[in-house]
Amino acid sequence: MIPEDLRYTAEHEWVAGDGSGPVRVGITHFAQDALGDIVYVQLPDEGTVVQAGDSLGEIESTKSVSEIYAPISGTVVAKNATLTDEPEIINGEPYAAGWLVEIAPDDPGSVAALLDAAAYRALTES
Amino acid sequence: MSSAPLRSALHDRHVALGAKFAAFGGWDMPLEYSGGGVLKEHAAVREAAGVFDVSHLGKARVRGAGAAAFVNACLTNDLGRIAPGRAQYTLCCDESGGVVDDLIAYLHGDDHVFLIPNAANTAEVVRRLAEAAPAGLTVTGEHRDHAVLAVQGPRSAEILGKLGLPVEHGYMSFVTASFQGAELTVCRTGYTGEHGYELVVGWDDAAAVWDAVVDAGVRPCGLGARDTLRTEMGYPLHGQELSLDISPVQARSGWAVGWDKPAFWGRAALQAEKSEGPRRVLRGLELTGRGIPRGHMTVYAGETPVGETTSGTFSPTRKVGIALALIDTAPALADGDLVTIDIRGRRTEARLVKPPFVTPSVR
Repeated sequence: MIPEDLRYTAEHEWVAGDGSGPVRVGITHFAQDALGDIVYVQLPDEGTVVQAGDSLGEIESTKSVSEIYAPISGTVVAKNATLTDEPEIINGEPYAAGWLVEIAPDDPGSVAALLDAAAYRALTES
Repeated sequence: MSSAPLRSALHDRHVALGAKFAAFGGWDMPLEYSGGGVLKEHAAVREAAGVFDVSHLGKARVRGAGAAAFVNACLTNDLGRIAPGRAQYTLCCDESGGVVDDLIAYLHGDDHVFLIPNAANTAEVVRRLAEAAPAGLTVTGEHRDHAVLAVQGPRSAEILGKLGLPVEHGYMSFVTASFQGAELTVCRTGYTGEHGYELVVGWDDAAAVWDAVVDAGVRPCGLGARDTLRTEMGYPLHGQELSLDISPVQARSGWAVGWDKPAFWGRAALQAEKSEGPRRVLRGLELTGRGIPRGHMTVYAGETPVGETTSGTFSPTRKVGIALALIDTAPALADGDLVTIDIRGRRTEARLVKPPFVTPSVR
């Protein structure tokens, strides 16, 4: 449940893309499983400028609320509007239809600095 | 409280079902099950049937001549209102009117009352009763002698009936029965708002009963769903809607107080608060838009703080954020009035409503 072609953060987010253009961001299978049934998602609007580590929004499950953090610095260029009415898609397809936002990176090299699949796997197994 | 969490007699069953566990009053209990989750488990109880292991709930027994009269002079509700074979929701208050615990009293007879308090408060309830009990009465904690399985939902009667258990008795009554040689008590009680049963069974017999109920098609449900179900009903949870600082008058649990009784713990303080009028009361809040309130969030009328949420969640049945909140009585807000809840810095609009949020079908 940890795709090899993505990059990851210690906050259980994934990033798709090499950084030369906008990258897609979501939460991992591990994160959605820990949260339980997701019932509400709050995401930033297009055009929002974020710094790595900033809050990107919130994901709420029936049990708890969890902050989403920007994995890299950049500008939000898209958000997944489907999640407004169907937040449970994140539980079912965390790496596909359940993506959260797309960010145009300030620094194309910032993506390569994130965890690779092996490093993230080690983190979740520790 | 001891450091090592206590485990239910059904712990291995829960592990095998892929449960996620959480601490409840010193017990390690299932929060939700693999392949289920709060939403599916909640829906099973509203639409079909679910089974909860609530063995963390306390059990205590008061026996001896005058046991019922003694309990009636301690706890708030009037045991004189019910006959043997019936159960009653009641409160254990301290002399200031604060709530030590809310519990169910099962009246077996004049000389025998069985109590089910909350897990974390059982020792204190037993201590207070034992200290007050006159000679000749015994107050016995039986926390780990019995397991409790709550089978709840519109199909619960049909399914338990097929297992040969008695199901026709009325709401809040109980009968003893046997199942595969084991004696158990079948109570028409529960905390979900649905027609349901609580099976009190010997610790070592619990697994056989659990297996039979689950094999009959009842979905195992964790305490996560139990919380969303009870919140939709507006039922109080001790530590949130009731506490040593929140009286039954404030929590609108005055219906569980026998006001005409000559004695019960906290009587003078509660009578005074009732006649003066409480400074705050428990009310329902329903969000008008998106968002999910949680406990301990400030409620505003305009720019004035008027109270605090005690519990909040997403209502799986209504698909909207709901909360219970202690609201000041001074501003005289009416049901239907709009207020705002400070959800982590975002003022979110909500409407004051009278719980329950979902129509109960307990009978």
